[in-house]
Amino acid sequence: MTTLSATLRRPGIPASAVRAALWIAAVIIGWALLDRESFAFGVYWFIGIAFGVILQRSRLCFAGAFRDLILLGDGRLLRAILLGLAVATVGFATLEARLVPDPSFGVNPNGPHIQPVGIATLVGGVAFGVGMVLAGGCVSGSLWRMGEGYLASWVAMAGILVGLELANHTWAWWYDHDIRRRSALWLPAEIGFVPSVAVVLAALGIAYLAVLWWESRSPRMPELPPPPALPPMTVREHLERAWQSIASPQGWSYRTGAIALAVVSIVALAYQVPLGVTGGLSLWADNVAGWFGQTALPLKGSDLLAGCTPGSGGWMTVRGATVLGLVMGAFGASWLSGEFRLRWPRTPSRFAQAAIGGVLMGYASVIAIGCTIGAFFSSIPSLAVAGWVYGGGLLLGAAVGVAMIKRLP
Amino acid sequence: MVELDVRGEMCPYPAMKARQALQKLPPGETLEVLTDHAPALSTIPWEGAKLGYRSSIEVVGKGLWRIRLEKAEGPIDTRKALEEIARRAAELTTS
Repeated sequence: MTTLSATLRRPGIPASAVRAALWIAAVIIGWALLDRESFAFGVYWFIGIAFGVILQRSRLCFAGAFRDLILLGDGRLLRAILLGLAVATVGFATLEARLVPDPSFGVNPNGPHIQPVGIATLVGGVAFGVGMVLAGGCVSGSLWRMGEGYLASWVAMAGILVGLELANHTWAWWYDHDIRRRSALWLPAEIGFVPSVAVVLAALGIAYLAVLWWESRSPRMPELPPPPALPPMTVREHLERAWQSIASPQGWSYRTGAIALAVVSIVALAYQVPLGVTGGLSLWADNVAGWFGQTALPLKGSDLLAGCTPGSGGWMTVRGATVLGLVMGAFGASWLSGEFRLRWPRTPSRFAQAAIGGVLMGYASVIAIGCTIGAFFSSIPSLAVAGWVYGGGLLLGAAVGVAMIKRLP
Repeated sequence: MVELDVRGEMCPYPAMKARQALQKLPPGETLEVLTDHAPALSTIPWEGAKLGYRSSIEVVGKGLWRIRLEKAEGPIDTRKALEEIARRAAELTTS
């Protein structure tokens, strides 16, 4: 089976050279991007790289979190994500308190993902939940699995781009009939910052306990324990041990990944906006449609909406830089840990499934103004109500998706 | 001996297909699952343990494993079995 990593590791090209080349490429591209738009593109390029590395190393998967809870009674992923949400909530709330010291004034902070709460939010969540289970991963999940060589994820990504552009063209209907009338409910405006954080953390805690209870109904799989290690003695051994904890083939725990992701998202929000990917993909999909004279952006009313909006214009935005960085980070992490391998699914119908799932996810990402990252992982910590409604939709949709895949080949 | 080839499949298919195969397995038969998906090294034995099967794993190639599931004599101590599964999967993915 030919693999790209095998090609790159031909005799004569040592692995360390490949590693060095990837790092240098990342830094050069980052340097070039930092030079524009007051560092924003470069900053989000590096944020994206961190995002991709974290996802690939920890195998964190939002689709798996909901799906495996329902299908296998395994809540490890979801519990890790709930923990990440709690960490992000504290960080986001602190930043929001500086952006908007008086929340009762009636103006939401600019930057955090505080989407309007409406039918589109719920429909988007359910549709995304079904799509992500069919496709085997959410949007960011498909991106990092592309980096591991899963061809079904490449097909899913194509479906996502199609779904995004379809939704861009039908956005006006959703806007006029639902979105324009809805409030971007932000908890601090209703009850103040400290009660909001308390309520959100309590709700996350209750959800955590609920997942534990659900898992207790069948024997619970412990997290993989690390193999016992000899204590490091020399400076070199310490450094090697530190490098191994990042680069080991075993990867990181879900908890580590989720918390690291939360920290990266806090840093991102501190700069401008939290983590989000579908806005960037949506803009690119529209630019491609533009080659055929079928642009749909800018989305009606979107300049007044928060969330993972695509904006309009050229190819490079902070969302776009994030996506590029994610791909670079995930591919790089996968190649360096030797996990890249072209993987054809055994069942040919898997491709059709991935495509349909992708279209559903792409469409849902536009009407909910974000995906499992932008409308959930970045929305709940923003103290927005939308994230919870969307999350409920994800759970429902995932249940439907699981019922479907049990009946498909 | 029934063989199940789930190479190239990503989650949840290895574990889900293994569970479906075990549920349809005639009594006394063993199931051998061929997979290249590292997380399956813990999820498939776990599904097996839930249904009363012992598992052993053979490394067939780089990133390729064969998981053999045999009906256990008598009840399995699930706690010990899960700990064993977790440790073995961690060791196998360290190489």
